This record gives sequence, structure tokens and C-alpha cells, in this order.
Amino acid sequence: MQTEFGLSQPSWRSHLRALWMIAVNNWKHHWRYPLNAVSDMLQPLVWLAPVYFMGQAFSVNGRAEGFAGFAGTDDYMSYIILGTALTNFIMAVFWGMGFSLKWDMDGGVLEANWMAPLPRPLMLVGRTLSSLATTTLTSLGMILIGALVWGFHPTGNALSAVLVAVPLLIGLYGFGFAFAALVMILREANTLVDSGSYVVMLLSGANFPVTVLPKWLLPLSLALPLTYGFDAVRAILLKTRTLLPLNVEIAILLASMVLMIVIGLRAFYALERRVRQMGTVGQY
Amino acid sequence: METVLLPSTQSKSLSRTTWAAQLRALGAIIWREYLHFVRYPTWIIAFIIWPILFPATYIFSSFALAGPGGSGVARFLEVAGTENFLGYIVVGTTVWMWANTMLWNVGFALRGEQMRGTLESNWMTPTNRFFFLLGSGPVHAASTLMFFIFTVVEFRLFFHLTFDANLLSLLAVFLAALPALYGLGFTFASLVITAREANTFVFLVRGIVMIFCGITYPLTVMPQWMQAVAEWLPPTLIIRAARLAALNHAPLEAVSRDLLLLLAYGAFWLALGYLTFSQIERRARLKGALNQY
Repeated sequence: MQTEFGLSQPSWRSHLRALWMIAVNNWKHHWRYPLNAVSDMLQPLVWLAPVYFMGQAFSVNGRAEGFAGFAGTDDYMSYIILGTALTNFIMAVFWGMGFSLKWDMDGGVLEANWMAPLPRPLMLVGRTLSSLATTTLTSLGMILIGALVWGFHPTGNALSAVLVAVPLLIGLYGFGFAFAALVMILREANTLVDSGSYVVMLLSGANFPVTVLPKWLLPLSLALPLTYGFDAVRAILLKTRTLLPLNVEIAILLASMVLMIVIGLRAFYALERRVRQMGTVGQY
Repeated sequence: METVLLPSTQSKSLSRTTWAAQLRALGAIIWREYLHFVRYPTWIIAFIIWPILFPATYIFSSFALAGPGGSGVARFLEVAGTENFLGYIVVGTTVWMWANTMLWNVGFALRGEQMRGTLESNWMTPTNRFFFLLGSGPVHAASTLMFFIFTVVEFRLFFHLTFDANLLSLLAVFLAALPALYGLGFTFASLVITAREANTFVFLVRGIVMIFCGITYPLTVMPQWMQAVAEWLPPTLIIRAARLAALNHAPLEAVSRDLLLLLAYGAFWLALGYLTFSQIERRARLKGALNQY
């Protein structure tokens, strides 16, 4: 019967077109404010400069020997630059998914977008695509400038490091789904996204070896798959000391990738359904 | 029948703009800011976790740099003049967070109105327009004081950090810093009405503070030209005076030079803030840019 069919005929092709349009929309929005775009590129360097000077306050002749006792390398700046590059991607997913919903809420378009015949998690993924592209550019620029200004001395295989980072990144989307749903419930994204991403970054050891964490915090850090991602990528590129054997860390990353996506999607659907039941999709 | 208006009625609008009315309006703006602040319960999370979360990165990094046997601490003592790198970092990062939240809250006061589409309608009320900006200050300053209390308690609990503070000096530093920081915030808030790319300005200003003002390291590790620039930035003075008052029990005389300089900077920034606001606000009205975003 005709009445069973809506006007929309969603298919995988239409989903891909929608995904592309969301990414193009975000890309245009990003470059519509050129100063913001330039600032996004310079931000990581602004964060690195004070870290560099702090390292100098503890180093003799540019060698952080105290640091080597924990990390297995005295090349503090390479350790930090690599951590910052990976952190950029964590931030891109968190802000891309969590904050974009708040942005739509404030703009009053979330409810209208929600009525589009497109799986909602796919909308969230679309919101991250352009930021992932800009993050890749930003991180490459940062590594280049960082190498020129402070020195970056990778000694390992870059391709292996990138391959290890892929499951880490996919797993992050699981985090992002659950996180976006939480933003919908609480309707306040800034604090959540800011503090959520910061906690994850802190505990996963983006800026220091997690072995310096107090005993009561270390289990939390070890429970995060990202910790092993940072650790493995650094071990491959900088030959740092690992928490667990490298192949075990990679296995953890692969298993957690699947687990995080499943849990993240389930949490998203449950919370999103709750928001629709409460009728608060259009509120902010 | 012809309606005859009395001359007195013709010359006056319905609004009665008196100083008492202006003050009531300012009170209403402050109350609105307060309501807006408590409306989103996540501010509690921010107050509980940020005092410890932001410095934590630097603190754990400093633990790592100090090394398992504390071999890096000798070098820190040499350049900073203290072994207490924990307290040193906590004070520096707390002042940075104060400047940062001031930029986001006070600096975004008008931009927020612009984004919500209420700036233009507020502008049509007979309230002094500068009050819309001024009204965002008191709630932020009060919340900052609460933030400081949370900082002290949390570092005492989690890191067993003791502050050897001279409370009078510390209060004097806080009060002397207000005009300089909020004057900067008012200037900033005015600029973003027309520039609109507010995030960039926040990142720029807080980035300058982060790099130049020595929030986690002594200025002496920077090149000479950077040290010279740092001396002209109010947060450098706030951090230096606050470290002396909070960690070394410095009396008022010990921080008086920095306080006087801060007050001078404060007068300059407040005047600049007001002038910038007046000019930019007029320009935005002429260009019809008040309701754009």
C-alpha cells in the first residue's frame, strides 16, 4: 500500500551524499571564519611553547635526564609533540560530535536536522569528517614547525605508527557517540566537552608517562584503551619503554575498538530515545 | 475630537531614565547573569574538577621531569629559587585559569547576546549600554573567589600541598588585579562585537599569557626579549605577587611594587575598555552589525 511509504527513499547512496554534504557544510563554516581557522592551526604550538620552557626548567643542556628515568628517552620534546598530535585527533572527535550538537541546539536546527531520513550516528560522524581533515593538516604543520623550532627526532617506522593509530581513532568514535548523547540530555556542551576531553587526555598520558600518576589514578588510566594507543605509537616511533609488550597493546586496541563502538552506539540510542520521549530535542 | 498633547508630554518618552533606574537595570543585569550561571548545573562540575584538572597536566609532567629520584629538581631550584615546584605551578596555572575564564565569560558577554539574537533588542532599552558589559563582571569575580577556595582545598586533599599564605597580601593582589583583568575583558568584549571571531581573540590573548607570563616556569628560562615583553603584561605581575603572597607569606610591602604597577595597568585598561566599547558600539550600530553573527 502506498501509505506505508514516505516520500524519502533513503539508501546507502543517499546516506553517503548526506554525509558528504554535512562535511562540506562544516568545511565551509570552518573557513568562513578565516581567523578562527588560522588560530586552530596555531593553537597546538601555543600549548607546546610553555611545555618546552617547563622542560628547560628541569633540563641540563637540553637533556631531560630525570624524564628519561620514567619514559626511557630524554627527548622530552619529541615525546610531547607526538602526544599533542594524537591529542588533536581526540579533540577533533570530542568537539566534532559533542559540541556540534550544542551548536545545532543553539542555532535551533537540531530538531529539523533530526527529522531528516538519515541515521543519527551518521550525522555525528559527518560532523567530524571536516574537522579530521583540518586536524590532519594542523598536526602535520605542527610537527613540521615543532621539528624546526624544538626538534622532533622519530627513529621508528611512521607507517606502522599510523596503522596502530587507526583502531585508536575508530574506538574514539564510540566515546564520541555516548558523549554526544550526554550533551543532548544535559544541554550544556562546553563544560562537558572541555572537561571530558581533558580528563581523557590527562589519564591516557598525552603529556607524560602514566607511571607518574598516583596509585589511585593509575588503574583508571590503565582502563583506558587510549593509554595503550599513545604508548604503542610512541614505542614504535620514539623507542620508548612500553607498559605492556607491544603486541599485547595492539591486541587491546583492536578489541577495545569494537567494544567502544558497540557500547557507544547503544548508549547513544538509549539516551537519544529518552530525549525524544521528553520532547527536549528543540530546547537549549 | 482632536487630541491635544501638553507640551511636557510631547517632549518626554515613556521611559524615565534616572540614576536610580540605571542602577536598578545594572542590578537586573547582574541578577540575570547569576541566573544564567546557575541555570546550567554543569558549572558545579567545572568548579570541582577544573581547579585540579588543568594544573594536573603540568604537575604530572613536572613529576616526570623531576625523575624517579628527583634528579631534575636541583635544576629547577637553580632557576626558580624554590624546590616547591608543585606550589609554583598551582599558583601560576590558577591565575591563568582566572584570566582564561574572564575572557570566555566577560569577553563573550556581548557576543553571547549577539548569538542569541537579543543584543539589538537590549540595545533599544534606555539602559546605559556599558552596563550590559559591566554587569557580567561581579558574578564572574565572585565565582572566581569560590574557584580559588576549591583550588586550595583540593590541592590540600589530593596533593597535601600547604600554602604558607599571607591572606592580607593575597586579598590585596586579588583586588589590585581586578581592574587590569576586567579592563582587558571589556576591551576584548567590545572588539568581538564587530570582529565576531571571538574564539580567535581568546586563543590569542590566553596564548600570550600562557607563553610569556611564566605560569609553570621562571621567566629566566626564556630568551631576554621574551622576559622584557613579559614585564609589560599584567598577568606576569599577578602571578609573581600571588606566588610571593601564597607560598612565601610575603607581607604587603614585599608585593607593593607589583600592586602599584597593577593598579596603573588597571586604570589604563579600564579607560581603554570604556573607550573601545563606545567607539565599537557606535560603529556596529552605524554598520547595522549588531544582529549579525
